[in-house]
Amino acid sequence: MIYPEPRYLPGGDRYMLVEFGNEMNLELNFMAQGLAAAILEARIAGVIETAPCFASMLVHYEPEIIGFDDLRAELSRLVAGLGPSDALELESRLFYLPAVYLDPWTRACVEDYQAKIAPKTADWDYMVELNGLRDTNDFVRVHSGTEYWVASLGFWPGLPFMMALDPRAKMTAPKYNPPRTWTPGGAIGLGGASTAIYPEQLPGGYQIFARTPVPIWDRAQRFAAFAGSICLFRPGDRVRFVPCSVEEFETIEREVADGTYQYNMVGYGKFSVALYKAWTASLGARRTS
Amino acid sequence: MAIEIRTLTAGNVWKVLVQPGDIVAEGDVLFIMEVMKMEVPHTAPAGGKVTAVYVAADQEGLDADAPAVDLEENA
Amino acid sequence: MTLEIIKPGLETSVQDWPGRYGFWNQGFPPSGPMDSWSFRLANLLVGNVVGAPALECQYIGPTLRFGAETVFAVTGADMLPTLDGAPVPLWQSVTAQPGQVLAMSFAKLGARAYLALAGGIDVEPWLGSRATFHKAGIGGVGGHALKPGQQVPLGVPAATAKAGLIVEEAARPVISTDRRWEIEVVAGPNDDWIDGEGHARFLSADWKLSGKSDRTGFRLDGPDWTFTEKALHKAPEHGSLPSNIIDQGYPLGAINLAGQTPIILVNDGPSMGGFINPYTVPQAAFWKLGQSKPGETYRFKAVSVAESQAMARSLAALCTDASILSSIV
Repeated sequence: MIYPEPRYLPGGDRYMLVEFGNEMNLELNFMAQGLAAAILEARIAGVIETAPCFASMLVHYEPEIIGFDDLRAELSRLVAGLGPSDALELESRLFYLPAVYLDPWTRACVEDYQAKIAPKTADWDYMVELNGLRDTNDFVRVHSGTEYWVASLGFWPGLPFMMALDPRAKMTAPKYNPPRTWTPGGAIGLGGASTAIYPEQLPGGYQIFARTPVPIWDRAQRFAAFAGSICLFRPGDRVRFVPCSVEEFETIEREVADGTYQYNMVGYGKFSVALYKAWTASLGARRTS
Repeated sequence: MAIEIRTLTAGNVWKVLVQPGDIVAEGDVLFIMEVMKMEVPHTAPAGGKVTAVYVAADQEGLDADAPAVDLEENA
Repeated sequence: MTLEIIKPGLETSVQDWPGRYGFWNQGFPPSGPMDSWSFRLANLLVGNVVGAPALECQYIGPTLRFGAETVFAVTGADMLPTLDGAPVPLWQSVTAQPGQVLAMSFAKLGARAYLALAGGIDVEPWLGSRATFHKAGIGGVGGHALKPGQQVPLGVPAATAKAGLIVEEAARPVISTDRRWEIEVVAGPNDDWIDGEGHARFLSADWKLSGKSDRTGFRLDGPDWTFTEKALHKAPEHGSLPSNIIDQGYPLGAINLAGQTPIILVNDGPSMGGFINPYTVPQAAFWKLGQSKPGETYRFKAVSVAESQAMARSLAALCTDASILSSIV
């Protein structure tokens, strides 16, 4: 449910968790990101940083400047002023990321797990089975056929958690149990209802089925698209996966290595929640072609 | 000459690779501790014969500088 | 002015305080020193600001050679530091001459020692901080803990830096000698997921610090948790375990309940995830986490938000020049 009023919960002496609801609903993330933007604009003294998550937002504050109760009062005021999420327009860049679906690297990783840790249905077959799809081609078409909304980043620096913006492309899958001890860097996976990209080789539990040659993590800050950070994405960005071949992957890999790769990023958009909702309301059932 | 090899750190014992009576060369790994999910190998400072082992695999919560392995150095 | 790293120790890294802030929403933990009490005092001893970059030494300390005359201080765990073989007192500023070797051994008491150098450590900041997140390759010297052979550049010392300063005893953290710690905790954010018996059990049990602990998380062994309706009957998208929740932001210090295993999220811990946090360790109690060793026992004591903030305030008041005395009385 979406709570009529957010809940403001203490996290030790200097953190507050703001809960907007308790379900997986993009609306709740729009509210979290809207509040984060409003906090920045209001320049609340004592707020150090915010981090939106699926249905909540973490606030890090300095108790010597603002107390918990005063902070709650300020945030309540901002929430009331924001009105319904429909009114929100959020800064949103769009990234086109090439990706090989059903790639040899995630295949090798899954086979390694099947051999050494536990038997399981191969991840791409599992996605087909669980989501009522025809076959893996159908799965690739559906997964790549939507923009993804970066709801939050975390668990590991630069790791984005993304939700399918086209509700007809929404798929779900449980996480690995036990988790994998490694995942290839650049792997694209799905756990629960969120899609993630592994910024580098890491343990993980999402079902994996594709890989991008494009770094989302750049310690050396070689690429302009990173805009002064080490990681590519910010909450509110959108991503579109563009299926490519292994040959194209390798070409891009070379361009990344020699620094000539140009990110395909559309930087002029604003995301209108009202227009988005109107669009989803106009959609029919799952697309079949 | 008797040599007392002691734990280099607080932590757990991960593996013990020797038992009393074993002959070891300088540099051989005698046992491996684990702390902060890192392995800390303990090697023989000289060649000789293991005369006592005070640690066991999976032993938890050892102090640093605790007796671990006694070695009788080669003459 | 440089420090030559002869032996790096187990995991020795540059940290600054309060660490790397402002990038939580991109998944960057703050890193920084686990025992910021000892850390701040070390910096004050050498005439630095409290948050200046200094070295955190964990379990086994480093051996290093000073390139120039350097005022330094060691605080926190006792790693039996020696300068050219002569014992170095903790909690005091000392001058090293060029070529002298500071050797630090295993931690006899405590787990983490702090080595502050007058002028701090002059490496490039990453995203505004020199704090190291070793596992992710961020910050510090080249992104990682120190390696043998490195030459670590030091900054310019304050004119006031000198040997012979000492931290007043009453201002020092007292490291437990009986392997037991009382750790303050604040209920929340997800305390309403645990039932009354579960809370009572958590607060009355002995919790053992597992050896499978590091700067990303401190795993605890102890009794099971029991849950309220909220945890047991919820929408399936939260996940199948009672302690699963829709992915949420994690406060630093959260006691994260992964299944039935509590893991205290410390300085390099994950910023979000799908498990509940019934309690949070406040910042002022972190020094106890930083100085405890595997196998030691925690007992948790519930305090209010206001009390935990007062604790931080008291600590800040101790970490000032008022606690620094000349040892020559």
